[in-house]
Amino acid sequence: MTKSEFLRQLEGQMEIPEGTLNEHQALSDIEEWDSLAALLFIALADEKLGMTVAGNDIANSKKMSDLLALLGDRLTA
Amino acid sequence: MKTFVAAIRQALPEATLDNDQLAAQFGSWSAEKILAKTGVRTRHIAAPDECASDLAFRAAQKLLAETQFDPSQIDFLLHCTQTADYIMPTTACLLQNRLGLRTSCGALDFNLGCSGYIYGLGLSKALIESGQARSILLTTAETYSKLINPADKSARTLFGDAATATLLTANEKETLIGPFVYGTDGAGVKDIVIPTGGKRRSPVPNAELVVDDSGNGRTVNDFYMNGAEVFNFTLRTVPGAVEELLQQAGVQKDDVDLFVFHQANAFMLDHLRRKLQIPAAKFVMAMEHVGNTVSSSIPIALQCAAQRGLLQPDALVMLVAFGVGYSWAATFIRWQPDTSCS
Repeated sequence: MTKSEFLRQLEGQMEIPEGTLNEHQALSDIEEWDSLAALLFIALADEKLGMTVAGNDIANSKKMSDLLALLGDRLTA
Repeated sequence: MKTFVAAIRQALPEATLDNDQLAAQFGSWSAEKILAKTGVRTRHIAAPDECASDLAFRAAQKLLAETQFDPSQIDFLLHCTQTADYIMPTTACLLQNRLGLRTSCGALDFNLGCSGYIYGLGLSKALIESGQARSILLTTAETYSKLINPADKSARTLFGDAATATLLTANEKETLIGPFVYGTDGAGVKDIVIPTGGKRRSPVPNAELVVDDSGNGRTVNDFYMNGAEVFNFTLRTVPGAVEELLQQAGVQKDDVDLFVFHQANAFMLDHLRRKLQIPAAKFVMAMEHVGNTVSSSIPIALQCAAQRGLLQPDALVMLVAFGVGYSWAATFIRWQPDTSCS
């Protein structure tokens, strides 16, 4: 899965318009980013990539690129 | 001598907190979005002078009255709570007196949260099948609303107050409860905790209200839950517990008639259900009118399933619970017709 495909799926889960998210955004600039969105991110990583993402790593992330980096090489560019 | 669940009843506080009220106070989520994401429409909230034990008393009274079970036949009262009336004495002792159970009845509290009901079934089975008791009253009761800061949107959205009473009795024939899978990971203390108020740390007077990134306000004296880490904990432990239980019981997943998990929230349960490949028709969701009622959630969900006609006599029901501690447990029960009550 590419980073872009992952973001499109996350948008679907967050029920926000396609194209809203990109990896250069600061999370604080995303109005819909909240504790539930963090759970949706964890669920998607679990379901699509078989990965566990620590809650504290999400909490320490400032940008969308920080979040995607938590998924390592499971996502292609 | 074998153990079975003879009857279950519940009691809820009168006052409610619905999604419109939450949406009006916090503004960020609409009432519809709260329902869609959490599965909760309404929660019941105890009155200021209403203790968890008052709810347990009502549930037990209702059970004894409606089943016409003679209270003097109760050999043991097991009370699961984290919101006791007093530091001492044990709330179960107060309930013994209030319910008019005989003084030769054993009674104890056990402090567990969401996993508590299954531990209570396990303790009941052990007491009955070792010949120490023939009839057990198992009560679960919480008023988490008294532990949660009014500014904690997330926790107030999820949790509701409730109590249940379950009658377990001896049966001469077959095994109707078990086997049991248990689990504990005390490293989870940091993720669901009330930091002060026990003997480790005294309550902080005039504690500062800290608002997190998601807009939830709480002080060190309040209930705290790290939702993301708790979600990870369930993903880490629940599938393994389900597999282990199936193996121990020698049962295939397809042979299970109904799955009743701790009713944490709809989002988490739906993810777990899909991960475990359990059909939605066999998976109970029963938090809409009560929220997450902690140790009462499984018995309430069982009653709800019975009312919906999802439980036939002798149905094989898998129970799975997980939460504060961390603590988790899983077991099977065979549903008995006289338990199908309101």
